[in-house]
Amino acid sequence: MSVFREHKSIADRSAADRQRHKHLIDRAIKDSIHDVIAEESIIGQSGNKKIKIPVRGIKEYQFIYGNNEKNKRVASAGDHDIKPGDQIGKKKPQQRPRTGDDEGEEIYEVEVNLEELAEYLFADLNLPDLEKKKFKFVKEKTLKRKGFRKKGIQPRLSKRETLKRRIRRKNAAIKAGSYDPEGDERFPFHKDDLKYKNLKARVKESSSAAVFFMMDVSGSMGKNKKYLARALFFLLYQFLRHRYENVEVIFISHTVSAKEVSEQDFFTRGESGGTKMSSAVELGLEIIEKRYHPSSWNIYTFYCGDGENWPDDDPKALEMLERLNELAQLVCYTEVVTAGDHRRREFLFGSDPSTYGLWDRLEQLAGDSLKRSRISTKDEIWPLFKRLFGGDTK
Amino acid sequence: MKDWTVKSLQEWDKKICESGRKFGLDWYPIDYEIINYHEMIGAMAYLGLPTHYRHWSFGKLFEQTHTRYNLGMEGLPYEMIINSNPSIAYLMAENPLSTHLLTMSHCLGHSDFFKHNRMFINTDADNSLVRFKSAAKRINKYMEDPSIGAEKVERILDAAHAIKYQIPRTPERKRRTHKEMLDFYKEVIRDDKTGKYKDFDIERIPLRPDYNLLAFITEHSRNLEEWEKDVISIVEYESHYFVPQAHTKIMNEGWAVFFHEKIMHDLNLPPKLHIPFLKLHNQVVRPHIGRVNPYHLGYKLFKKIEEEQGLEACFVAREVHDDVSFIRKHLDQKMCQELNLFSYSFKKTRKVNTIDEISDKEGWASVRNNLLKTVGLNSVPVVCVDNLDRKSHTLYLQHEHDGRDLDIPYANKVLEYVADLWGDEVKMYSTLEDEPWEF
Repeated sequence: MSVFREHKSIADRSAADRQRHKHLIDRAIKDSIHDVIAEESIIGQSGNKKIKIPVRGIKEYQFIYGNNEKNKRVASAGDHDIKPGDQIGKKKPQQRPRTGDDEGEEIYEVEVNLEELAEYLFADLNLPDLEKKKFKFVKEKTLKRKGFRKKGIQPRLSKRETLKRRIRRKNAAIKAGSYDPEGDERFPFHKDDLKYKNLKARVKESSSAAVFFMMDVSGSMGKNKKYLARALFFLLYQFLRHRYENVEVIFISHTVSAKEVSEQDFFTRGESGGTKMSSAVELGLEIIEKRYHPSSWNIYTFYCGDGENWPDDDPKALEMLERLNELAQLVCYTEVVTAGDHRRREFLFGSDPSTYGLWDRLEQLAGDSLKRSRISTKDEIWPLFKRLFGGDTK
Repeated sequence: MKDWTVKSLQEWDKKICESGRKFGLDWYPIDYEIINYHEMIGAMAYLGLPTHYRHWSFGKLFEQTHTRYNLGMEGLPYEMIINSNPSIAYLMAENPLSTHLLTMSHCLGHSDFFKHNRMFINTDADNSLVRFKSAAKRINKYMEDPSIGAEKVERILDAAHAIKYQIPRTPERKRRTHKEMLDFYKEVIRDDKTGKYKDFDIERIPLRPDYNLLAFITEHSRNLEEWEKDVISIVEYESHYFVPQAHTKIMNEGWAVFFHEKIMHDLNLPPKLHIPFLKLHNQVVRPHIGRVNPYHLGYKLFKKIEEEQGLEACFVAREVHDDVSFIRKHLDQKMCQELNLFSYSFKKTRKVNTIDEISDKEGWASVRNNLLKTVGLNSVPVVCVDNLDRKSHTLYLQHEHDGRDLDIPYANKVLEYVADLWGDEVKMYSTLEDEPWEF
């Protein structure tokens, strides 16, 4: 004889394990995003373009046989007529080739747009705890509809609400027997029926930012370095766009002289010639003076170069940077340095890499609002970004 | 709405048990837990075990199962029974009476199979539930221990799960430790008169290839703490418990279907119960196109044995066979053809699955042989410990190549896990595209 037990639902036993699984998925997405931010395919994209993020899954790996001709499997064909050589199943969609992935590795793909990507990225940073002073907001008053009120001006009369009240009153009157709907008598509006749309003033923190991207486009900035700069700029732009409602971007490229260029030219056009960083900063200052007054614009400037400024330009560049620092929320000086550069510089300047160039001299200026940094691979972009906005003063 | 009460189930149970006994079934007593859909999915996620240790993979299993039912990829869950004495089975409260009757008849078959099939002789059905409960408690204790914590326990579980199927595949006597093996071989060598053991390397660890990776690691790792060894042994125990079921999936399901059909017919159900039963039964035994439905295949084979040799031969088969020997002995060309089985493989050049052989005169034997390679644990590659370098403490694993190449990215991941457990270097040898391959 068997036993039957009916039991009332107790605690949901899998809840904790489900939550943990979900947590692992979220983490995988975040990790993958950090890999993806420096990918060519997303940089320069804008708007709601969907980006597929490959998430290396929450998989349980075991020894398995590969999917190939030696690994034959068996299945039933039901009533279907079959013969050897028939193809079954659909052709597998070609996976986007990605570096570093071995063939056969299954990847979950999560689709997000740039907005969500930014959410994911910047949620990680605990934004509210970031240095608040880097973001100042101009307060702005706007009016917004909110609810209804009894008194108001004629244009704001809500016909719908007014009518609703009349109907309600009419139905009540019919119920109470004080009004006969079959009769000829009209059921007029009453003063109490009138409802006006209410407007409420809302103080909104609106904000504008002018973002200056400056880059050395002289011969020494190779394709790879430009790519790194571009990845960094893209991330910065996304971040500021996430933060400020109105963001204007100014691109300044320079060799010995600087000019304002389009985004396209900024990233693609290279020029030969020497390097005078001061020219770019000077042009930046001019533009700020003309178009972006610091009292209503938050100014961010990011400079990318390879650190090979002409030594006789250094004092001027420093002076300009100092002036810029007084106006801007953040002045960021970044050197893109690859391994080969180190060797070359060692040869030129001696073994201590800090004995040359602006880098060394910037140390005294560096602080909360002026930051210097170096990157050499795309893996360093995200950590650098966190350092820029995470309050580290170096 | 509900067309049954616990009392009515008890009455039907009496009839079902009577009928089962009449056919010669002999099962462990069964405890039925009546639970709702959510709990049913939960029970399935934890492999039916009433208490089980925590791990995110079960949360994942829950979501997957739930999604599959939600999307209608599968019908409603109706049966789940575990190998223990008494056997615990689940009835989903949302199901109608006719489904319960089928489930209960079906469970007699399973429980009979657990009790009598030779693959299960070492599963210790009397104590398994207690051991799972104790395992869950210990894992919980480690997770709550401030000096250990959930993350560390999870790391060990993640790694141990990766090689949980790398254990011996036949029922075996208790694993012998290295020292016991050493004593055994010393004796063998001492008494050896044939000269066969003249060159036997008594210094080697292991003395013969060890197929129990988890046990070998706990025994020989010099980096594992006691609690870690315990966690690994918990995973190993569970594998030993489930391996017989993996080996007999087709037989076990076939046997249960074979008997629920007999019992249900024997009950002489009124049409309002019999017709829904037939509908569900046909759902269960229908061929799955593009796959092999174990319920269908096992059921067909038992039917065939009954027709050709009588019911008694079926009882013998359920006792002595596992899926491999069962299929090898009883799946003939006629049956292959009837089931319209074919073998296929993935053609790299065309990037598509292509049919290789069908069950005609020329092809059927090869179809059957390919099927044998994928039933039971034959779909899991065999990896054993070949050698442990005493100096460097490097662990050398060997994949026993049977013509099928390993999936390399997966193998690399698994080896990372093994190295994580082992704590020293791990190497593995295999064959890839007919060339030796070293991981």
